[in-house]
Amino acid sequence: MKGRLVLVAAAVGSLVVAGCSSSSSSSSSSSAAAAGGSSASTKACTTSIGIEAPITGPVAPLGTEQLHFAELAVSMDNAANNTKITLVQGDTQLQPAQAVTVTQQFISNSNIVGVVGPAGSQEVEAIGGPMGRAGMAFISGSATAVALTTGSYPTFFRVVSKDSVQGPQDANYIVKTLHPKALMIVDDQEAYSTGLVSAMVPVFQAAGIKVDHESVSQKVTDFSSLVAKVTPADTVVVLPWQIAANAQQFGRDMAQEHKTAVIFGTDGLFSPGTFSISGSYVSSFGPDITAIPADASIAQAAQAKYGTFGTFGPPVFAATHVIDEAIASVCKAGQTPSRANVLAAIKTTNEPTSILGQPISFDSHGDLVNGKFFLFKITPAGKYQLIPS
Amino acid sequence: MSFFFQELVNGITTGALYALVALGFSMVYGVLKLLNFAHGDLYMVGAYIGFFVIQLFGGAADLSIAVPLLLVIMFVVAAGLVGGLGVAIERFAYRPLRDAPRIAPLITAIGVSFFLESSALLLFGAQFRVYNTSEFISLNSGIRIGSVTIDSVQILVLVLGLVLMTGLRMLVNRSRLGKQMRAVAADREAAEMLGINVNFVITATFLLGSALAGIAGVMGGLLFNTVTSTIGFIVGLKAFTAAVVGGIGSIPGAMLGGLVIGVAESMVTGYISSTYTNLIVFGLLIVVMLVRPSGLLGRAQLQKV
Repeated sequence: MKGRLVLVAAAVGSLVVAGCSSSSSSSSSSSAAAAGGSSASTKACTTSIGIEAPITGPVAPLGTEQLHFAELAVSMDNAANNTKITLVQGDTQLQPAQAVTVTQQFISNSNIVGVVGPAGSQEVEAIGGPMGRAGMAFISGSATAVALTTGSYPTFFRVVSKDSVQGPQDANYIVKTLHPKALMIVDDQEAYSTGLVSAMVPVFQAAGIKVDHESVSQKVTDFSSLVAKVTPADTVVVLPWQIAANAQQFGRDMAQEHKTAVIFGTDGLFSPGTFSISGSYVSSFGPDITAIPADASIAQAAQAKYGTFGTFGPPVFAATHVIDEAIASVCKAGQTPSRANVLAAIKTTNEPTSILGQPISFDSHGDLVNGKFFLFKITPAGKYQLIPS
Repeated sequence: MSFFFQELVNGITTGALYALVALGFSMVYGVLKLLNFAHGDLYMVGAYIGFFVIQLFGGAADLSIAVPLLLVIMFVVAAGLVGGLGVAIERFAYRPLRDAPRIAPLITAIGVSFFLESSALLLFGAQFRVYNTSEFISLNSGIRIGSVTIDSVQILVLVLGLVLMTGLRMLVNRSRLGKQMRAVAADREAAEMLGINVNFVITATFLLGSALAGIAGVMGGLLFNTVTSTIGFIVGLKAFTAAVVGGIGSIPGAMLGGLVIGVAESMVTGYISSTYTNLIVFGLLIVVMLVRPSGLLGRAQLQKV
């Protein structure tokens, strides 16, 4: 009996902790709302948006960063536009099935007029249909698969470019600058990674480079056996991965086995505190906003509130800002925000500048117009140096 | 040939880790007939404890104590705390269900697994914690024979793993507690009637098995550097498979199963492709189970009818 009481107490304790956690996330929204409502005479523009991100699971560090930047954007936009937008969280764990569940919850919540996310291309493919049927706009800050913007998902938008741009661009850089005769490319068995590999391999093959295509799960952290396969002829190892810590371990295993190949990573590997193998390259769909003077206030606010960050947060800030501005424009036009009028407003987005250092507008399929990628090289001090395009 | 030996070393090192975790699975199953799915999460907790011990002494780059002493403290603290956690889990989550239908403790074990994983996420956050082992144990400090490299951490894992497995085997085979464990595993009710304190034996089993998982967690942290709340899942799955392949309930079987899986993974990755590692390794294991359903070293159970 005593044991059961302790178990019950432990369970209650954990619920209290969980409760504290949720209330802390909603408090950011309410404080933002308070900021937005500072002018009592203005008619309140009150509504909700959802965010789908992998807040737990293997890529939780990326998802948490996305959530933080969405919270920051809502808070700043509420203050700037005198709106009362509340952010509703949905944890997808980067799993399509979980994304579908969260999406159904969002669709059935009539207060939600738009969604930020999801993070992964495979999730977009899972929820694109239901979102389209619900007429709900959703903007991803990291889904880059080419197939997402071929017209199948009419309410989907993204503020980053796509694999068909990044893959060949990165592959061409490797071919022309690093001149490998052979290379190893390792996907992480997720749609993001396999999509990029599919876009890169034809470029390598056309250049006559011998390609050893390998594949490891994101959950694997032991790369010693794989690293043993890196031959002296393999002067480049391409890791289109989402988990920077895994790439760091891959680099350590290479050093331990005296392999000297250069690592070329993408997006998720932009993590100065985690991935710091000197001489490695990282291409990213997002810029390093700490190096953009116009973003100084946002970067400082994010750093002060959440600590260090990579390149997954800023695009989500941009995506959230697009929806926030669409809602504000609807309210300014004297209408009540709905899924239909917010979707229509998003379609006409035309921001001359953004946190990403480039204008934001969408083509008819939801792609970012003139989207670009950024390439960095890691210095011996572990710093990420932008390579001019 | 050197490539073969490099893959063999890598496989045995990983296999030793699987074997240590598999031992806990096997011991608990032996005495309780319970598949403790939370066991992989004890590995995760051990890895976190190792990380925080490093931080306690100034962090990887600026240690305030000698490395051998640090390692001893990491292993002892992880073994003690995770062993204690295992005992608490048994006492509060499994013991009340000891006489319930077998599905109940099984579901509880899954619940405990999620509880531990989510608690770690809440307590330690989503970010990866990194051991940075190479900051205090040089990558060049091991042995190099031709082009085969065995670094110091791999040597540490192999030696400590071997010592622990041998020690556990001796404890189970030669000590009074070990004899009691074997008696409880054979027939709990009969052991109780013979005056054996079954609760004590089960508690001791959880303590030992969990402590091994905690030590394996520190080893994993030193080897693979990265710690998150989810690392226990894949290791737990591999260790469970190792325990079943070796013959669940058999201590030498768990050791053999761990090594078989570690080496098989390494060889398939090296000689075929990492793309097919799980497909081929688990395919082979299915074949093993079809040929020897009780595992490589398991004994067929006689059933009273």
